[in-house]
Amino acid sequence: MRSLLMTAALVNAALLAPPVLAQDAATLVEGVLAQHVLPGFQTFATRTEALTAAAQSDCQPQSAELRAAFHEGFDAWMAVSHLRFGPSEVDERAFALAFWPDTKGFTPKSLTKFITTEDPVIAEPEAFGEVSIAARGFFAMEYLLYDDTIATLGDAQYHCALVQAVAADIDRQAQAILADWQGGYATSMQTPSDAAEYATDLAAVAQLFKALDTGLQFNEEARLGRPLGSFEKPRPRRAEARRSGRSLRNITVSLTALEELSQALAAQTPGVAERLEAAFAVAFEQAEVLAEDPVFAGVAEMQGRFKVEILQQYIGNIRDIVTQELGPALDVTAGFNALDGD
Amino acid sequence: MTTRRRLLAGLAASSLMPSLGWSSVGTPDFLSAARRADGQFVLAGLTRRGDVTFTIALPARGHAAAAHPDRAEAVAFARRPGTFAVVLDCRDGTVLARLTAPAERHFYGHGAFSADGKRLYTSENDYEAGLGIIGVWDVEAGYRRIGEFASGGVGPHDIKLMPDGRSLVVANGGIETHPDMGRTKLNLPVMQPSLSYLSLDGDLLEDVTLPWAQHKNSIRHLALHTDGTVAFAMQWQGALKDSPPLLGLHQRGTPPRLLSVSQDSDRRLNGYAGSVSLSGDGAQVAITSPRGGILHVFDVTSGAAVAVHEATDVCGIGGVGQGFVYTTGGGLVGTLNGALQRHDLQWDNHLIAVSA
Repeated sequence: MRSLLMTAALVNAALLAPPVLAQDAATLVEGVLAQHVLPGFQTFATRTEALTAAAQSDCQPQSAELRAAFHEGFDAWMAVSHLRFGPSEVDERAFALAFWPDTKGFTPKSLTKFITTEDPVIAEPEAFGEVSIAARGFFAMEYLLYDDTIATLGDAQYHCALVQAVAADIDRQAQAILADWQGGYATSMQTPSDAAEYATDLAAVAQLFKALDTGLQFNEEARLGRPLGSFEKPRPRRAEARRSGRSLRNITVSLTALEELSQALAAQTPGVAERLEAAFAVAFEQAEVLAEDPVFAGVAEMQGRFKVEILQQYIGNIRDIVTQELGPALDVTAGFNALDGD
Repeated sequence: MTTRRRLLAGLAASSLMPSLGWSSVGTPDFLSAARRADGQFVLAGLTRRGDVTFTIALPARGHAAAAHPDRAEAVAFARRPGTFAVVLDCRDGTVLARLTAPAERHFYGHGAFSADGKRLYTSENDYEAGLGIIGVWDVEAGYRRIGEFASGGVGPHDIKLMPDGRSLVVANGGIETHPDMGRTKLNLPVMQPSLSYLSLDGDLLEDVTLPWAQHKNSIRHLALHTDGTVAFAMQWQGALKDSPPLLGLHQRGTPPRLLSVSQDSDRRLNGYAGSVSLSGDGAQVAITSPRGGILHVFDVTSGAAVAVHEATDVCGIGGVGQGFVYTTGGGLVGTLNGALQRHDLQWDNHLIAVSA
C-alpha cells in the first residue's frame, strides 16, 4: 500500500516540483566521496586486515579477540555495503563478502561440504576466491564461529584453516575494492565524459542517490521485513546475523552510514537535510527501544512485534523524504514507467 | 486480423456467451492500463491509430492485462506482489469475476488465455519454496482455480500462448522475491533466468538459458509471431557498464540469438528493457526502455539494427502491419514516423494485443 501511495506521490512530485535550485552536482559528488565513500572503504580495509591477523593468531571459534575482530570488520562492511556499484560489483565482491539472505541455505551446505570432505582448495587463496560465494564472507565466518553445529564440526585443524582462509579472503576483497576506488574509480565519478561510465556529474549523483534509497529499502524490507514475516507467520529465525547477535546492530550501523550519505547529498538543500536528520533521529531512538531484543526474537509476540514494526515504519518515513524531497531537489527522479521497475 | 476477429466474434455469438465481442467496445487493437490526470487508474482500449475506444476504472495501479480471445473481457492484474486480479467487462467496467491467488502464492502480473478462451494461465510465485508456478483457471466456471504446475524456473513474469495453441512460453525472470520483503531481490548472485516452453498440462517441452556470464540478465517480457518466433526482453541486474544485449530471439529447437545496436548505444537502455514487440508482419522486433527514453528496432532475419528512436518514458509497444505503435508515461501514442495522438493519460507498462 505504501508503495502505491508513494508512487502516486512521486509522480506528483515529478510533475509539480522541478528542482528547487540549481544543484552543483560536481561539488556534491566530491563531498560524498571525501566524507563518506573513501574513508568508509579505508576503515573497512584496515579492519579486515586486523581480522586476518586475529584469525592467524587464534582461530578458535570461542576466541574473544577473533570474535571482536569479526564484529569490527562486519561493522565496517555495514558502513559501506550500500555502495553496491563499481568496485563492489567487480567479480561479485559484495556478494562474496555478504551472502544474505540465503533463502536456500547455501552457506551452511557449502561449509559442511568443505569441512566433511576436507577440501584442500582452502590452502590456495586464489583458488578459494573461486569457490561458491556462499562459502565466503562474513556470513560464512559467522557460521564458523557461532553456529551450534558448524562451529564444532569436523577436524579442528581443518576448521581452523577454513576460518583463516575465509578471513584472508574477506581481506583480499576489501583491499581490492579500496585499491579500485583509490586507483581511478573515484576520479571517474568526478570526471564525467560521454565515453565513460558516468556521462555527466548528475549521473554520478544519481548513482549515489540510488545507493542511499536502496540501502534504506534493504533495511526496511529485508533486514526487518524478513524476520517480521507476516502477522500469522513471524520468522524470527530469518533475522540477519542472529547467530552472532548482530541483527539490530547491522541496522543501526547501516543507518548511521546512510544518514552520513544523506547529509552529504543534501548539503545544498538545508531544509531537506534538517527533515532527514529529524527522521533519522526518530529511527535511532526506536532502535534504542529495541536494544533488549537485538535479534528480533520478539517478532513472534504482539509487544515485541510492534516495536520492530515501528522501526520499520520510521525507516519508511526516511525513505519517503528521500524519494519525495531529496530526489526531486537533486533532479534525479524518473518517469512513470521508468520508476515502475517491472 | 479482422477476418480472424470476425470469425471469433461469430463463434462467441453462437455459444451463448454472456458478454459481447470486442466490436462492442470499438474494436480496439490493444489494451493498456493508464493513470488519469485525477489519479484514477483505468484500463483502456486503443486502436492502431491512437484512438481510445473505451476506458473503465481499475481498483489500483495494475500491471499487464490478458484479453479474452473473443469476448470483450479482460483480466487486469494488480502489480506484483499482488494477490488479486479482476475480470472486467470492457463495455462498462462491470466486474465479472475476481481472482484471488491461493495461500502462499502471488501473481506476477501477466496471464494468457487458451485459444478457445476456456482456460486462463497466470504466472505466480510459490514464495515459501522460491519457485515459479503457473496457475490454471476455469473461465466458464467463473474463473475457478483448477490447478497449477511448475513454471520451469524462478520468478515467472510474462506468459504467452504459442501459435500452435497447445503450448505456453514463459519468461522465468530468475529473481526470487518474497512478499514479506517487498520487491527486495533475494538471490541475485545465484539467479538463473530461463525461457520455458510448457505443454498446457505443465510438461516442460524445452528450456532455454543463456551462458552463465549472463545469468543476471532477467528474462521478463515476451512477444510472438505466428511462425513461432519468440522475442524476449531482459533487465540486467549486474553492473551497468557490463550490460549485455537486452533483446533475444528464439525459435523452438534452435539456439537463442541476442540483438544489439552497439555497446555504446545499448548502454542508453540503462540495463532495462520495459516491453518488447514484433511488427505485425514479423519482420521487425523492437524493445523499449523507459529509463533510457529510447526504443531500438531490429530486422528479425539479419538481426541488424534498423532504428533508434527517442521518446521520453516510452514503455508500451505493439506490432501493427510493418511497424509499431508505442505509448509513453507522458500520454503519447506514437509510431516511428511520428506522434499519432496525445491523451491526458499516463500510459502504463504494456500494450496487450487483442485477438492477435
